[in-house]
Amino acid sequence: MRSLGTVLKKLTKKGNIGLIASVALLTVVMSLAYPNFLTLFNIEITAMGFIQEALMALGMTLVIISGGIDLSVAAVLPFTAIIVGLLLKTSLGVWPSIAIALGVAVLIGFINALMINKLRVFPFIATLATATMLRGVALVITEGATISGFPTAFYEIGHGRVYGIPVPVIIFLVLAVLFALLLKNHSYFQQVYFVGGNAKAAQLSGIKVNRLRYVIYGISAFMAGLAGIITASQYVSASTGFGLNSDMRVITSVIIGGASLSGGKGSIGGTIWGVIFLAIISNAFVQSGAPTYWQDVVYGGMLLAAVFLEEYLRARGRKAKMKSWREFLTSG
Amino acid sequence: MVASVLKIKGISKSFGVHKVLHDIDLEIAKGEVHALIGENGAGKSTLMKIIGGIHRPDTGSIEVDGESVAFSNPQAAMAKGISLVHQELSLVPNLSIAQNVFSQREPTNWLGFVKWDELHKRTRELMERLGVDIDPATMVAELSVGIRQLVEIAKALSMDAKILVLDEPTSALSEKEVETLYRIVDDLKAAGVSIIFISHKLPEVFRISDRISVLRDGRMIGTVKAEDTDTDEIIHMMVGRSIEEMYPPRASSVGETVLSVEGLSRGDELSDLSFELKKGEILGFAGLVGSGRTETARAIFGADPVDAGTITLHGRTVKFKSALDAINHGVCYLTEDRKDLGLFLTKNVRTNIVSSSLKKFASQLGLLQHSGIEDTAKYYVQHVKLRPADDKPLVMNLSGGNQQKALLAKWLCADPQVLIVDEPTRGVDVGAKTEIHSHLRQLANSGVGVIVISSELPEILGLCDRVAVFNEGRITAVLDGEGTTQEDVMKYATM
Amino acid sequence: MAISKSATKSSVREFVGRREVGLFLIIVAASAILSLLTPQFLNLNNFISIATGMSYDVIVAIGLTLVLTVGGIDLSVGSILGLTGVVTTMLLRAGVAIPLAVLAGLSLGALLGALNGTFIAKFKINPFIVTLGMMAVARGASVVLTSGYFLSNLPAGYLAIGQGKWFGIPIPIYATIILVIIFDYLLRNWEPLHSIFFIGTNPDAAELSGIKVGKMLIVSYILSGVLAAAAGVFMTSRLAMGYAQFGLGAEQRAIAASVIGGASMSGGEGSIFGTFLGVLLLAIINNGFVLLGLSVYWQGVVNGLILVIAVGVDAIRRMRRGEDRD
Repeated sequence: MRSLGTVLKKLTKKGNIGLIASVALLTVVMSLAYPNFLTLFNIEITAMGFIQEALMALGMTLVIISGGIDLSVAAVLPFTAIIVGLLLKTSLGVWPSIAIALGVAVLIGFINALMINKLRVFPFIATLATATMLRGVALVITEGATISGFPTAFYEIGHGRVYGIPVPVIIFLVLAVLFALLLKNHSYFQQVYFVGGNAKAAQLSGIKVNRLRYVIYGISAFMAGLAGIITASQYVSASTGFGLNSDMRVITSVIIGGASLSGGKGSIGGTIWGVIFLAIISNAFVQSGAPTYWQDVVYGGMLLAAVFLEEYLRARGRKAKMKSWREFLTSG
Repeated sequence: MVASVLKIKGISKSFGVHKVLHDIDLEIAKGEVHALIGENGAGKSTLMKIIGGIHRPDTGSIEVDGESVAFSNPQAAMAKGISLVHQELSLVPNLSIAQNVFSQREPTNWLGFVKWDELHKRTRELMERLGVDIDPATMVAELSVGIRQLVEIAKALSMDAKILVLDEPTSALSEKEVETLYRIVDDLKAAGVSIIFISHKLPEVFRISDRISVLRDGRMIGTVKAEDTDTDEIIHMMVGRSIEEMYPPRASSVGETVLSVEGLSRGDELSDLSFELKKGEILGFAGLVGSGRTETARAIFGADPVDAGTITLHGRTVKFKSALDAINHGVCYLTEDRKDLGLFLTKNVRTNIVSSSLKKFASQLGLLQHSGIEDTAKYYVQHVKLRPADDKPLVMNLSGGNQQKALLAKWLCADPQVLIVDEPTRGVDVGAKTEIHSHLRQLANSGVGVIVISSELPEILGLCDRVAVFNEGRITAVLDGEGTTQEDVMKYATM
Repeated sequence: MAISKSATKSSVREFVGRREVGLFLIIVAASAILSLLTPQFLNLNNFISIATGMSYDVIVAIGLTLVLTVGGIDLSVGSILGLTGVVTTMLLRAGVAIPLAVLAGLSLGALLGALNGTFIAKFKINPFIVTLGMMAVARGASVVLTSGYFLSNLPAGYLAIGQGKWFGIPIPIYATIILVIIFDYLLRNWEPLHSIFFIGTNPDAAELSGIKVGKMLIVSYILSGVLAAAAGVFMTSRLAMGYAQFGLGAEQRAIAASVIGGASMSGGEGSIFGTFLGVLLLAIINNGFVLLGLSVYWQGVVNGLILVIAVGVDAIRRMRRGEDRD
């Protein structure tokens, strides 16, 4: 057991070697089992099948590093899709509609941050409440019906290609690079690590924690909104059923990518590997023809395994002293 | 004498009704190492937090380089060249050394992106100045406590600190690391940096400091040159207060041994501790913070594991696996941390009093007798003279003294045969203190073995029949309470 | 004389200040308004339908209150309800005797709860994430098991559990009332269960006071799992089928009801009777929506709003007492 622990520790210590190795292994297995796995066509299907989660995972990475969580993303996604759908039915034009819808999404993120800052509600309960309400409002607005009939220009967002690459994939790649650059290299975004890693240190070094929280939750909601708009364009419709359970998959990607729910740890690079890992598994379901409803079982299991592994390693790392119960019961 | 870089005049500070600093004056010269010492609760940390901009003084003035300043936050103090190296380190483990050293002040381009080459170069220079050759990109999580401390110092230096406050910097360091730290302090001093050095350990104070200031009970007792004084004088300044409180009479006779501990050891925290506790006596545990007193108590109580050692209770060897186990055997422990580990702050007095003896109020089926709980709680409220004399108020709304009485009542209610009390009168007013002392003596007279852990020497000497002195995880002496002086105890505690 | 007067006054204030009393008054007010707005409200059949409809939520919320009181959270109750319902109905369709099938369903609930509790208490993993994982796994498993189909054709004896009536009142209502009374009594008076108040208030102090923190954490999650399973049995029997999506969102309603009823998100407080009133309030409001012909879709909005208000009130209450979230 000891040797297993040290091996695991070594693997996880330097970046995401364990995860990357798993992705590589999975890729080898998949391409042996399904010769078409490594074809461009299938890679595109894999990527497009997971693009919403990938986008949201970028924002969620910030949230989780800051020590929070955002359960509202799965509701912001359909909500934004519906808002943009309704706006497109007016004479507003495609781009203004998108801008307004994204603005609404950001506003929802601000409301999350407001509740956490002012009401001092735990992030998970604040965003859970937002999610419940948004789903309700979405149902009220649409009365459960699907909105469809959008202009061609909007259709292009989800279906267009630049140099043969689907537009959503390009959007993701650009944003992923931007997020990675900012989080790794920008002094403002370094604050996110301080807030999640050592709140007291953050305060001592003069970080405006509350203000930063608006930015973080705003970004997370913006990404969910973007995912909503892309989904609406892909399906050429908007429905309250979009994005169901996507929050689970998003959080799982981020955690598998090495972020810690207690904050202060995680990276965009790791999250991207986590997203790829989950995307391949989701493709495995498609390829094998296994019932897709197995997916959530597998994802839930992986989330548990990832968290368990992290806690196990951390427990090994600390002294054999009585650990404060309070510390973990009140975290999250 | 060189010009003062820092001049403090008439600083006072109260928290609520509790006045922790009285009219403090202090001057720090450029390039000197100035030790600030005093017992726990003497006000050292509060004074340093005021200097570092974390607290604001109620009255008084601070001058830096002859310029009057008022800090509204730590950043303002740093801007004036004052940096605090905290006891609890303020680093983020999953960021690199460089990111921590220059947090919020990274060299960036016009877009706000960090210039890594420059950041790493500057960090490397700082670390080299401290005599450490290490990759600035190393994660702090991978560093030892000693190196982390150096990173904190590097952080202070990166802000061009003129005054560096080191709060018990050696408490968690290995011997080798301590030597490195001394050398760094000497180097910094040579470079013109003033250092305020807070410590409990007198030998090291004499080793590195130019001048020594002693605080006691929130008052500045005096500042002396290190070369003009000696340990005895400093100890006298630290503990100089006369035993003004009245203590109950000591035990006239003690019974057989209730508890004996043999060879208790754990890592480097506890090494081969042995002692005996007799029926009806009060045994004191004296020593500095971190000398192993609390750790010993928790180990006996079954709250923490031990590597070796036997505990004998009433002649039978016992090994408690949990607090419940210990309580069932009549061994109880009143924690020093009453807010986090002792009381249920958001619950009322009644709930708190019965919290460690709930099972006593339950029938065989486990059903609670609420009337019994109420009567018992009311009895103890009277017994320990709680104010208000009511079992309904939430404990968080009580004063410190009354909270401590409620905590004592909780353990009296558990009907102990051995009671270990850890800092039983910390943050308690004189009246409540005397009452707590008389309860402890009463308890001993009724045949209970009592162990009192206290950082207040007058309390230890006034109350206890015998005193075990702890020093770095060992018991260095067991003295009689009667006739022993504070200086004697201090000698064994700091040698 | 003066003393006894002020004592009476303070105990009156204490009584009126209790969450249950305030909640009860709100329920009375809401009922009064609804009976003015619609004649269909004040009607025995309507009351029975409210009571039957809310019984599953009450049973689930009892368990959730226990978990909140001990300082945890259980997001998996809705999924456990779904899965145990599915497993029980599958066993019944496979010809397993009714008592055995029900017992198996309840045991499965206990097992899943024990898994949650063990992960949380022994391995010290954040309860939120453990039960979120369990929520996904259990829901996924029920979908896998049913392939998304309804499982009907259940034995008549089983249907009698949920559909049977005594004196014109459905059995689930009796069961709910009995469970509320038992757990309310036990939580207040039974020493082992009562100790969870201490754990939820200050787990470290509780451990040092000789309370078995780890054990009671696990017990709380087991109870939460068993009660969710019991709700699953009643629901599948009442609706005469097993279905993978039963209990969807039950955890949110249960959290809202518990917090409305006096449980605190930071642990150490909770009242089963208060929770019962919390569910009742939500049920009456939903019933009002239906009777007034308002879009059922508003229910989600109102439920979310009530959760925010409840949690906000809880937060303000804590703030006023000077507590901090951290």
